[in-house]
Amino acid sequence: MTLFSRERQCREFESGRSAGGRALYLALSLLLIPGLLVVPPFAVQAQTASDDSEAEEDDVEIVYILRASTEGALEIDNLDGQKLETELLPGVEIAFDEGIRFTAKGRIRYDAFDQLEPGSPSQDTTSPESRRLRFNSNSEAELREFFFEVPTDFAYFIVGKQQTVWGQSDGLKVLDIVNPQDFREFILEDFEESRIPLWTLKAEIPLGDVLAELVWIPDTTYNNIPEPGAAFAFRSPSLVPVAPPGTSFVLDDPDRPDRFIEDSDIGFRLSAFVDGWDLSFNYIYQYDDSEIPFQDRTSFPTVVIEPEFRRTHVVGGTFSNAFGDFVVRGEAAFSTSRYFVTDDPNNANGIEESPDFNYVLGLDWYGLRDTLISGQLFQDIILDDTEGVTRDRTETTVTLLARRSLLNDRLALELQWLQGLNVGDGLVRPKVQYDFTDSVTVWGGADVFYGSSRGLFGQFDGRSRLVLGVALNL
Amino acid sequence: MLTSPTVRAVVLAIVLLAAPVLWSHTLVLADALPDGRSVAENVNARDDGRYVSRQMVMQLIDSGGSTRERTTRSFRTYDGTDKKIAIYFEQPRNVRDTAFLTFDYAEAGEQDDQWLYLPALRKVRRISGSDRGDYFMGTDFTYDDMKLDGKIALGDYEFQSIGRDAADGMPCLLLEATPQTDSIAQELGYSRTVSCIDEDIWIARRTEFWDTQGNRLKTLHVRDIAQVSGIWTPQLLVMENHKTGHKTVFRISDVVYKDEMDRDVFSQAAIRRGL
Repeated sequence: MTLFSRERQCREFESGRSAGGRALYLALSLLLIPGLLVVPPFAVQAQTASDDSEAEEDDVEIVYILRASTEGALEIDNLDGQKLETELLPGVEIAFDEGIRFTAKGRIRYDAFDQLEPGSPSQDTTSPESRRLRFNSNSEAELREFFFEVPTDFAYFIVGKQQTVWGQSDGLKVLDIVNPQDFREFILEDFEESRIPLWTLKAEIPLGDVLAELVWIPDTTYNNIPEPGAAFAFRSPSLVPVAPPGTSFVLDDPDRPDRFIEDSDIGFRLSAFVDGWDLSFNYIYQYDDSEIPFQDRTSFPTVVIEPEFRRTHVVGGTFSNAFGDFVVRGEAAFSTSRYFVTDDPNNANGIEESPDFNYVLGLDWYGLRDTLISGQLFQDIILDDTEGVTRDRTETTVTLLARRSLLNDRLALELQWLQGLNVGDGLVRPKVQYDFTDSVTVWGGADVFYGSSRGLFGQFDGRSRLVLGVALNL
Repeated sequence: MLTSPTVRAVVLAIVLLAAPVLWSHTLVLADALPDGRSVAENVNARDDGRYVSRQMVMQLIDSGGSTRERTTRSFRTYDGTDKKIAIYFEQPRNVRDTAFLTFDYAEAGEQDDQWLYLPALRKVRRISGSDRGDYFMGTDFTYDDMKLDGKIALGDYEFQSIGRDAADGMPCLLLEATPQTDSIAQELGYSRTVSCIDEDIWIARRTEFWDTQGNRLKTLHVRDIAQVSGIWTPQLLVMENHKTGHKTVFRISDVVYKDEMDRDVFSQAAIRRGL
C-alpha cells in the first residue's frame, strides 16, 4: 500500500468550475431523501394469508430508513477526546413494478472534537460528483447511495452511486479494491462506512452456472488520506516519504485523473458454485486508489512532491468451502504495477515500480455453539528487485477474530487481533454490543495499537482509544 | 388349595377364557403403536408442496416478557430429493436485508451448504453446514430445526413409538427419537426428542426436546394447522426454551404453493440483492 499524507491549504468550500453545480447537486440529492420521507406511502403491497396464488405486485412499496448514532472515543494515553460524532443516516427504498428498485441513502455527521479531519479537508482526491458537502469544520453531509436496480431478461442492472464489494477477507483488503477507502479512522471504521461509494454502471449476467458481473466506473475518486495534524495521519516511513537532512519538501496538488471515459475503471467478476466450492475470477483495469508521491528533484535541495495516480491491471480470484466445523477461504490478487516509496538517493523520482502479489488465507471454526473463531494470514509481496524501498519486500500480517452471541443474539462479544510480523506491531480490538430493543443498540470497546512506529499499526501507538456508542434504528 | 381338582379346573377355565381376550388386547396395542421408523417416514412423505413461499413473523420473547419481532419472507423448494431454503429478513432495521440460504442434501453423510448474507459486511459469507445445533438468528430454533421445516432427519435418529397422548385436544402418537451416535447428539444439541404425531395429517403437533445432559430443553407447539391448496399447513409455531425461559413464536401467513418458481431466490446473487 503506497500512501501519502499531504498538507495543503484547507478550504471551507471548494472554488472552481463545478463547485456551485456540485453543491446544488448534493443539496438536491440530500433534500430528495427528507422530501421523500414526508410523502406518505401511496400504496403498500397487499398480503393475504393462505391465498392460493401469489399476490400480483402491482403497487409501489416504499420503505423509509433512519439510523441515528453517537460514538465517542477517548484516547487511552492522555484521556483526550478523539471523537464525539453524531451521525444521521436517512434513506428510502422504493420497489416499483417489474422488480425495479430505487435506493437513496445519505449521511450527515457532526463531530464535536474535529480531530479526525481538522479544519476542512481539501477533498482533492475525490471527484466533484462525489464530494462531501462541508458545512463547517465539524459537520458535513454526503450522498452515500443513489441507484436503480433494473432486472431484465438477460441481465440485472444496478446503476448509480453504490458500493461494489469483492473478496472474502475480514479486516484487511485484497480484492475489495473496486471502491476506494476513507482512512479518516485508519481501518477502525466499519468498511460499510469507510468504503467510498462510486457512480457505477453494473450488470450481472447469468451465463449458465456462472454469474458474470461487469462494472464500469467513470467516477475518478480515490482513497481519502487524512492530512497532517489529523489523528490518523500516516506517519510510517514505509507509507510516506521522509525529507533527508538538508532538504525540504514542497507539496503540489495531486494530479487526479478527470476524463470521463479515458480515466474510468472497468472490470468484471465471474463467480460460480462448483462441487461445493464458491469460486470467483476477478479482473479490473483501474487507477490504483493510493496516490503516488513522485518527487521532482530538479530544484534540489528543495524537493517538490507531485502526487499522481497510475493505472494497473489487477487479476485475482477467491475460493471458499466448508469441511465439518471449518470453512476455508482465500483470495489473491496480482497487480501489474504498484508503486513504492524509496529512499535510494540515486532514484530520480523517489518511487519504485513493481508488479505485486498479495493474498489471504482464512480458516473459520464453528466448533463452539453460537461462536465463530477465525484466523487469517495476509501476505503482500513486491515481485521485482527494487532498490531502497522503505517497506519489506514481503509483508505478513496474521489476524484472529473471536465472536460469540449470547442471550438470543441480544449480546455479542468480539475480539479482533491483527499482528504485523515484520516489525512486530499490531492492533487489538475487544468489543461488547447489546441490543436493548430492536431499535436501540449500545456498544463499548477499545482499539489498542502497539509496536514499532515503522509498522502499519504501530504508527498509531499513541492513538489507542476507548470507544462507547449508541445507535437508534427506525 | 390349588391341589384341589375343582379349583384347578376353575383356574384353567378362567385362563382359557381370558386368553383370547388378553391376546386380542395385545394385538390392539401392537396396532396402536406402529414401528417408529415407519411413522417418521410417513411424516416425511407428507405432501408439503414442491415450492412454497410464505411470510413468517418471528417473535422473540425473553423471560421478562420483552419482545423483539422479525418479519421474514421464506422460500423452500425441492431439487430432486435435495431441499433448498432461503430466508430473507425484512424487518426490523437492524436485521433488514440479512438473508440465509441452505442447500440440504438428502444423501447420507453429505454436508449441507450454507450461506449468510450480512448487510453490514455486504458479503455473502459461507458458513459451516455442521453448525446444526446453533440457534438461528436469536430464535429458539436451531439451524437444523429451520432446515427440517417439520420433517424428520431419518439418518440422525433411532425411532420408537412409545404410546399415545393428545396435543391441543387432538389424539396423537408419541414418537421417541434418539440420536444414533453421541457425535450426532452433540452436533444437534439434543439427546432425545418425543413428538406427538397426528396420524391423520402426519404432522407433529408437539415435540419435546432434551439436551445432551438429559435435561428437558424445549417444547415446540405446532398450531393453527389448516389446508392451503389442499396441503396441511401449520401457521403458528411456539418454541419454549425451558432452560432460559425464552420463547419464540412464528406466525406464518401469505402461504403460496406452486410447482415452479417464478424467480430465482435460491442463489448467492439473490440473497445479496434481496427481495
